[in-house]
Amino acid sequence: MGLVKKILLSVACMSLAVAVAHGAGTKVGYIYVGPKSDYGYNYAMDQGRLYVEKNMPGVKTVSFENVPENAEVERVMERMIKSGCTIIFPTSYGYLDPALNVAKKYPKVTFMHGGGFKTAPNLGTFFAGIDDAMYLAGITAGSMTKTKKLGFLAAHPIPQVLRNINAFTRGAQSVDPAITTTVVWTGTWSDPGKEAEAANSLVDAGADVLTGHVDSPITYTQTAEKRGVMAVGYHADASKFAPKGWLVGAAWNWGPMMAKIVKSVQDSTWKPEHIRGDLMAGDAGLTAFGPSVPAKVKDLVLAKEKEFKAGKTKLWTGPIVKQDGAEIAPKGTELAMANLEGMDFFVKGVVGTVK
Amino acid sequence: MSEFDAALGGFLISALRSSTPLLWVLLGEILTQRVAVVNLGVEGQMLAGALAGFAATLATGNPWIGLIAGVAAGMALSSLHGLLCVGLKANPFASGLAVWMLGFGLSSFYGIPFVGQKINGFKSMPLGFLERIPVIGTLVTQITPTVAMGILASPLLGWWLYRTRTGLSFRAVGESLSSAKALGLKTAWVQVMGIMAGGAFSGMGGAALSVDYTRNWVEGMTQGRGLVAVGLVIVARWNPYLAIPAALLFGGAEALTLRMQTSGVPISSHLLHTLPYLASLAVLVLSYSRANKEGGTPAGLSAVFSQSQ
Repeated sequence: MGLVKKILLSVACMSLAVAVAHGAGTKVGYIYVGPKSDYGYNYAMDQGRLYVEKNMPGVKTVSFENVPENAEVERVMERMIKSGCTIIFPTSYGYLDPALNVAKKYPKVTFMHGGGFKTAPNLGTFFAGIDDAMYLAGITAGSMTKTKKLGFLAAHPIPQVLRNINAFTRGAQSVDPAITTTVVWTGTWSDPGKEAEAANSLVDAGADVLTGHVDSPITYTQTAEKRGVMAVGYHADASKFAPKGWLVGAAWNWGPMMAKIVKSVQDSTWKPEHIRGDLMAGDAGLTAFGPSVPAKVKDLVLAKEKEFKAGKTKLWTGPIVKQDGAEIAPKGTELAMANLEGMDFFVKGVVGTVK
Repeated sequence: MSEFDAALGGFLISALRSSTPLLWVLLGEILTQRVAVVNLGVEGQMLAGALAGFAATLATGNPWIGLIAGVAAGMALSSLHGLLCVGLKANPFASGLAVWMLGFGLSSFYGIPFVGQKINGFKSMPLGFLERIPVIGTLVTQITPTVAMGILASPLLGWWLYRTRTGLSFRAVGESLSSAKALGLKTAWVQVMGIMAGGAFSGMGGAALSVDYTRNWVEGMTQGRGLVAVGLVIVARWNPYLAIPAALLFGGAEALTLRMQTSGVPISSHLLHTLPYLASLAVLVLSYSRANKEGGTPAGLSAVFSQSQ
């Protein structure tokens, strides 16, 4: 698939370079691994870009989508730099090493990578924890379910996904401890056919609220609506795909964090560090509620959100019991950082296998 | 309705749904290989069909027009394969790969504005008393037009291939080009027809995936289904009548892997995801060890393979 994409990409690159070659102020470049209209990860990042453009006078942005995670992205970054970009957001995880290569070559350009774990003198990283928001979405789902069965469609058993599944389940169980979450692995970040069928099988197994962690929430949200069950979104607000069944979603809010980063570069206060945001800082949160969610449930969820934001409660406080019944964090203690960052277990009440 | 009925009916419709895009592509590739041409480009043709179908449905609001657009896009791309390997006598494998890449690249590029758009799919039809029969009720209430049409297309194509004059000319060309020429058949024309028919069906398979099954367009959304269909042609023994069981073997196994997870079977999902491939491979090995070695390969097609060795 490489050659055709390469040709199309270089044509598009050239036009991009021409388009932004002239102008004043700071220029920020954004690179996405998928289309920015996917109502998923890339969409959320692009919303951050639009926020920066809108709220920071004199700052211009350029963006590039569908850029593969290989040497291709280095070329895109160099093009951006030649066209005058002084800050670059390579937003996909697989862009880390290419970004480090380019950063070495252009020490005056600042790179902020999404979610990485390495830094360089001119490369830092940014990300945010979204599991608090998933917990709140879980409370919503737990309050609305009638069958006491929730369905979770997920791509790969990696820590970030497991955190979301466990957070969602714990949120639901805070309403009713008998609630279970059934997990179906699709084995890929993006296969709408499999996602549709996974959603259907969850509905047939009795789940009446579906959520997921794949590239785009569109397919499972639409399938839920088609089958007459409820949907909880992830990454971004996809309520238009389920006007009736949409409950709420856990979504990123990258704008303010990105604006702060750009500002710090302008003020020369920027340092190469790992910036990590959360619900408390407003970097992740809930989307608007759907029409079927009653005020009582909204109040319950918003009250808990307030507690999280005020730091009164922490999400990963014990008792946390694993699927097999073993207690991993006793009452009153925090889950160990290693267990959180490298999560490899399901909590009790999740139906499925981790491995 | 008892739980068992719901589970069985649910599994059957799930297997049919998963198999349908495959079935369409498989039928098309059977026709193409029947005229002694292999087309690996079906993957790209499927993608072209998926995008064209989605775009046309979005523009017109009518999923039927979407399906027609999908068929047209598949045919357009396959005509390139026809031109290259029949007209210019290019190597069919190289040409097929080129068509695949082209379909992937073009659909990814032109598909960007369609990501995140919402289309309306087919409306479900009220079926009255049928809906209340156990198992069948679950089936009919969830069946969609592309599934039903695929089930009808398979026997129709079988009848056409084995019982009509034009079907006979396809088979004659596939068995021996020189004999077919001696009979006065326009072999190049028949081969192009076989390739274009394959294009139409693979385009339909792609449109079934985007317009009916998922109501969504995503770059590269066929995820190898076209290539799987090329492999399943061997399992179906180049016989349209056997296309449904062959497609069901793969699609059913895929549906099963997802359903086993929802029932909490403690098997690694990584292993489960290999099940469709293992099942197809097992049937292939079994059928080859039991039947004659050719397994129904058109003689002219065997020549293509032995030439390329």
